[in-house]
Amino acid sequence: MATRIVVPQLGNEITEAEVTEFHVAVGDTVVEGDAVATITTTKMAVEIETPENGEIASVDVEEGSIVKIGTTLCTLS
Amino acid sequence: MPKELVVDPTSTRRRTEIEFKPIPVHAYDRSLAEERKLRGDAALTEILRHMMVVREFESMIASFKATGSYRGIEYAYRGPAHLSIGQEAAAVGQAVSLEPGDQIFGSHRSHGEFIAKGMSAFAKMPKEDVADLMANHRQGRLAETVDAHLDSVGTSNAEAFLLFGLLAEIFMTQLGFNGGMGGSMHAFYAPVGAYPNNAIVGASAGLATGAALRRKLSRDGGICVANIGDGSTGCGPVMEAMNFASMAQFRQLWQAPFDGGLPVLFFFTNNFYAMGGQTSGETMGWDRLSRIGAGVNQEQMHAETVDGTDPLAVADAVARKRQLLAQRKGPALLDVECYRISGHSTTDANAYRDRDEIRLWKQHDAIELMAGKLINAGLLRDDQVEDMKADTVRTIEAVTSAAVNPNIAPPVDVGSNPTLIGKFMFNDTSQPVPSGISTFTHPKGEVAAMRALARKARNGRDEEGNLHSPLRAVTLRDGLAEAIVHHLEHDPLLIAYGEECREWGGAFGVHRGLSEVLPHNRLFNSPISEAAIVATAIGHALAGGRSLVELMYCDFIGRAGDEIFNQLAKWHSMSAGELTVPVVLRASVGSKYGAQHSQDWTGLITHIPGLKAIYPATPFDAKGLMASALSSNDPVVAFESQRLYDQVELFADRVPEEYYRIPIGEPDVKRTGEHITILTFGPSLYKAVAAADELARDGISVEIIDARSLVPFNYDPVLTSIKKTGHLLIVTEASERGSFAMTVAATASRYGFADLKSPPRVLGSPNWIVPGAEMESTYFPQAHDIIDVVAGEILPDGRNRRRGVRNWDDLALARAGL
Repeated sequence: MATRIVVPQLGNEITEAEVTEFHVAVGDTVVEGDAVATITTTKMAVEIETPENGEIASVDVEEGSIVKIGTTLCTLS
Repeated sequence: MPKELVVDPTSTRRRTEIEFKPIPVHAYDRSLAEERKLRGDAALTEILRHMMVVREFESMIASFKATGSYRGIEYAYRGPAHLSIGQEAAAVGQAVSLEPGDQIFGSHRSHGEFIAKGMSAFAKMPKEDVADLMANHRQGRLAETVDAHLDSVGTSNAEAFLLFGLLAEIFMTQLGFNGGMGGSMHAFYAPVGAYPNNAIVGASAGLATGAALRRKLSRDGGICVANIGDGSTGCGPVMEAMNFASMAQFRQLWQAPFDGGLPVLFFFTNNFYAMGGQTSGETMGWDRLSRIGAGVNQEQMHAETVDGTDPLAVADAVARKRQLLAQRKGPALLDVECYRISGHSTTDANAYRDRDEIRLWKQHDAIELMAGKLINAGLLRDDQVEDMKADTVRTIEAVTSAAVNPNIAPPVDVGSNPTLIGKFMFNDTSQPVPSGISTFTHPKGEVAAMRALARKARNGRDEEGNLHSPLRAVTLRDGLAEAIVHHLEHDPLLIAYGEECREWGGAFGVHRGLSEVLPHNRLFNSPISEAAIVATAIGHALAGGRSLVELMYCDFIGRAGDEIFNQLAKWHSMSAGELTVPVVLRASVGSKYGAQHSQDWTGLITHIPGLKAIYPATPFDAKGLMASALSSNDPVVAFESQRLYDQVELFADRVPEEYYRIPIGEPDVKRTGEHITILTFGPSLYKAVAAADELARDGISVEIIDARSLVPFNYDPVLTSIKKTGHLLIVTEASERGSFAMTVAATASRYGFADLKSPPRVLGSPNWIVPGAEMESTYFPQAHDIIDVVAGEILPDGRNRRRGVRNWDDLALARAGL
């Protein structure tokens, strides 16, 4: 089953974030706790970690884009 | 980069024991013969004489308080007299082992330490330096007076200068060291290293620690001494200061040449009583005060208990501790046991101690013991000791005669110059724009956060008028950051710290990226010790540095109450302008989290004379006002609304990339209008704008003025606006009672009365706790509340369209205490 890695809630007043950098590409194998992307809010830069082991099936947004909380960043297979 | 210190569970969870080493108690055992060899006979004789000077000086004050006269000199001294009779060996022993440039910070009972430090420093300084200091102190008036009236008094003019300047200060006259603004409990004279005595118990612990921070950064080899008492071990800020001074990061994270412990000595003059509470046995549990050191750090603060009736034992201990501090092994703690034969003050009836106890300690009188020692060793004869006493009495008598004579030491003339004291409240100067070479370790271009900021739009809307995302345009947070970055980059004297100030970038990200370009000695994480954060910032500034510190929420001001209200606000004025306190205290105003995290406490700060305060609401104003705050040679409290950190610029055309300053104290007209003036504080600006947009549709034209600053505050734009509109509404998120908005309303009423068609109205928060996020809109004034007041009360149009909940009876609420 595919697992979506999403932009988490980062504070009550944060509604969006910029995807600063992807650390993975489609086909990469990741282990639970690996950082898959860095996103930046107006207040901080946050590394988004994979919650489980798997392979990156898709990268769903572009680097440099501004995305809403809850947006899927990438998908694990 | 961060994450340097890993908390390893394997070693952390290992079974072990914490070991303590024995704490020496009265370990001094040098013979007098050895002391003679070490110091020389003249130095030993001087130690005795200095103790006599301190004793006679304080006996004189005691005599005035008890009888109104001293050796036939009549004087009604009305000030306090917290005397240290019996404790002279502690003061003189300490001073003997300090260098002139070492700085002592005293207590309410510190005449002795002042005199001892001054006499010791003057004796050790080149004579020409002493002459220069005296000639340059306050335009030479004190030195001229000493030359004219006390020429042959004491062993030197310098000694007469010191004693007369101190006594003239205790009597609060113009010629006092602090122009009569300090008095008995606050006298100091910085050129001899005698920094402020402090009437707040234990307050010098934090100030001395902050000054030691400056000494460490300047690497001048000097040390700082906190002269505090046994009773102060019960004060939280003292514990905070000792912990701050012992932070492991000084050794583990700070890089050479700034690595190593702080050069601060906590010198506890332990007289066994905290006013009337017996510390050992009653109000404390430490039994021996030095035990405290064992709990603070691995070195146990090099703590020792020392015999404070023997100046040589004290001098020996201070010399050893000074050496440790010079080797960057500080901080150190000395528990100096001695006895206050005099009362706490002149109202002390000794109800808390037995007369026999006082008699017992009189048999251990420090001066008699020292004199006996020197006589027994054949160093002095009885008659020489008596002559020394008589000479001392003559000196004090002459100094006293001059100090009580209003023709020689004129009182501070507030009668003919009623705003004189006001002139001492602020320095009102600024440093030039810092433009030195970059102090950053890397170019700003290598820092992601700074690169991102450089790419942002400088205005809040695009060409079509659409709002920019705060991720794409300069925000209020960015405005603050740009001013802070400029100052930190180009002003090597400026340091910044607070909780989470490094890697986290401050709780709200204003410092983000700075930890990548500034070493720990310029930007560091502090413990959760608001009192120590503020106190050390003050000490650092008093010692010549500049400080930028952060309290995460302004609700935490209470934790640093004394430090802000009694220290930060006062040292410029209490020194009659001799000292400057360039400290910027940032405090965010929160929301969402309810009663202890959402309060606008601007009113507390504006109530205390001596603090400047800003509360910018736009990125443009935030940048310019923060630049002014950081340049100011006065303390500035900067309020920042958490709700506005992501606010983009909607008023100025753009936020310039270049450095600029906006003068503190100038309200700004954000929108012109004809029918009513709305003055806003902080985020209320945006509520007023929304209300004005809606009111405009009904034909009501609103002029909006953003206060921007609270202290100082120029009323002209407000009064000019009232002249046009005739109505004034002030909107604030502070609770109305006692708020600064109420002060402005009262003043505007008085000076704009002729132009006002209705009384000025304050729309603030009610006088109850701030509720959580779910109820906030009924607490903080909203746009519809503003419309309710304007269209329903001030300029009623007859339509009932009230939308807010504030239809309450303020007088009934006031009767109920609300």
